[in-house]
Amino acid sequence: MLEPDVLLHEGCVALTIDLRIYRLKAIKKAAYRLAERFTAVVETPTTETVAVSLRFKPTVSEAYARESVRLYFEELMDQELREEIAEETGPLRSLILAHAFSNLDVVKRDD
Amino acid sequence: MTELNAHFRGRAEFAPTTRYRLLPCRFTRLDGTRYVATNDVGEHVVMTDDQLRAFATRRLAVDSALYRSLKARHFVFDDDSLVAVDLLALKYRTRAAAIANLTGLHIFVVTLRCDHSCHYCQVSRQTEERTQFDMSREHADKALEIAFATPSPQLKIEFQGGEPLLNFDLIKYIVERATALNTGFRKNLQFVIASNLTHLSDEIIAFSKEHEVYYSTSLDGPEAIHNANRPLRGASSHAAAIAGIHRIREALGPRFISALMTTTPASLSRVTEIIDEYVAHGFRSIFLRNLSPYGFAVRTSLVRRYDVDDWIEFYKRGLGHIFELNKRGVRLREELTTIVLQKMFLPSGSHYVDLQSPAGIAIGALVYNYDGMIYASDEGRMLAEMGDKSLCLGSVDTESFESVMTNERLIGLLDDSLLESVPMCTDCAFLPYCGADPVFHQATMHDSVGHKAFSGFCSKQMAVFRHVITLLEDDPAARNILMSWI
Repeated sequence: MLEPDVLLHEGCVALTIDLRIYRLKAIKKAAYRLAERFTAVVETPTTETVAVSLRFKPTVSEAYARESVRLYFEELMDQELREEIAEETGPLRSLILAHAFSNLDVVKRDD
Repeated sequence: MTELNAHFRGRAEFAPTTRYRLLPCRFTRLDGTRYVATNDVGEHVVMTDDQLRAFATRRLAVDSALYRSLKARHFVFDDDSLVAVDLLALKYRTRAAAIANLTGLHIFVVTLRCDHSCHYCQVSRQTEERTQFDMSREHADKALEIAFATPSPQLKIEFQGGEPLLNFDLIKYIVERATALNTGFRKNLQFVIASNLTHLSDEIIAFSKEHEVYYSTSLDGPEAIHNANRPLRGASSHAAAIAGIHRIREALGPRFISALMTTTPASLSRVTEIIDEYVAHGFRSIFLRNLSPYGFAVRTSLVRRYDVDDWIEFYKRGLGHIFELNKRGVRLREELTTIVLQKMFLPSGSHYVDLQSPAGIAIGALVYNYDGMIYASDEGRMLAEMGDKSLCLGSVDTESFESVMTNERLIGLLDDSLLESVPMCTDCAFLPYCGADPVFHQATMHDSVGHKAFSGFCSKQMAVFRHVITLLEDDPAARNILMSWI
């Protein structure tokens, strides 16, 4: 859940994210991808939410922080979708790779 | 029903299905409104945000052009296309097949001596008289023993320096010894000398002709840029290079000489002149290369004087100029773009060492330094010159091909370089086109994997991939030219 007004307070933006919408893995991956903009501190999740604090360099403006939060949620949407696709296609990927190398003899044998 | 008729299905069987399943894929933003999705074998589809989400949540109309495109490229399958899994497996195996034929390139640093004092030189060049920086015959013999133990049926021996022609006697020795050894091994043996061509002589040309030796030289652009980048005391490096290029063409043939350029701050505003210089001297390709963060380029702070955005702008303008030349009937291609296109459209991709997963270190090339030390890549020995020996794999005096390739440090680096397990890369649509480049990240972040959000390598590659795909999508004339390069 995004706070209605992003407030940059002492270089931090505090977010509360609904775990029923975004899984924790997606929340962390999105933060990693935007590490050049901020450092994310992810708190211990409760049943339904997790608190995430985005920590910026002291010199950044409110506008920069606001844009960063927008990008974070944009990335979060993508990461969540990636996780959904990975969940559905993961076993197929394993099957394809196993099939690809099923006839490969990787052990050198002496005749 | 006859037995033959039993093999045919009624028309209703071929009606579009409303059900489909997703196959493994990755997606990344292409621009403000579109995504590019790729699968594990490098096929790609560009979609809008709405299309991507409709595809992923299986709300896509199965009679739509996008669905047909996704199905043809193995992003989805339905009851009518169960062969997709088999085809993807076959294509994946084809792309990975080259890994089994490891280490086709063996680089012999026959001397560190050089007559040039290039600002961006990646090694610690030595003055011409310091012969203690020459490779010995004993080390050359032991290096050849390792080189011929590779399982690769292709064996390319490349001579580097310094300026390798300053130790031509050893080049002659290695070429003759390798040729003799190859009568037993019967590998596809090729020799390349990476030279500034200043020391070409009739004897060297005759020997090169007899043994079909290829040459790779540096041509940074017009005389002013080239000579500013590559000072040569008392003479013009540009004039020597051009004379050498034409001499090799006449004596050996055009395919025996190729040229490479390096982008310095002085090059950034002059890409069209640089490209025109290549055309003027009869080259059909140019590799718009950025500076690497090694050697003198670091010590002289040259690498910090332009950033990724500057190089990308240089590259885009250069590519635009090359398209204009092609439209006028001048045949010229850009090499980095060609490598990307090969990875996108050819079944076996590209074997370009710097864009491999696992990384091309040792698998793609081994380097034997003048002192007999073995490195996992050319950049690895440059890193060692900077005091970081993490890519040193021992000495030819004590190692064999097997011990080099099973070196624990090397295996650890290769393991870390599989993009499928690298944070960010694992989700990136450009993964099938990209590589790990552990040496770049070791040099810039002191970590072979690095954090890709801060990686200049990642920024550069992503920008190139986005630009090429955008051209393929939005510019039919550019697409025609690009497709003619592969």
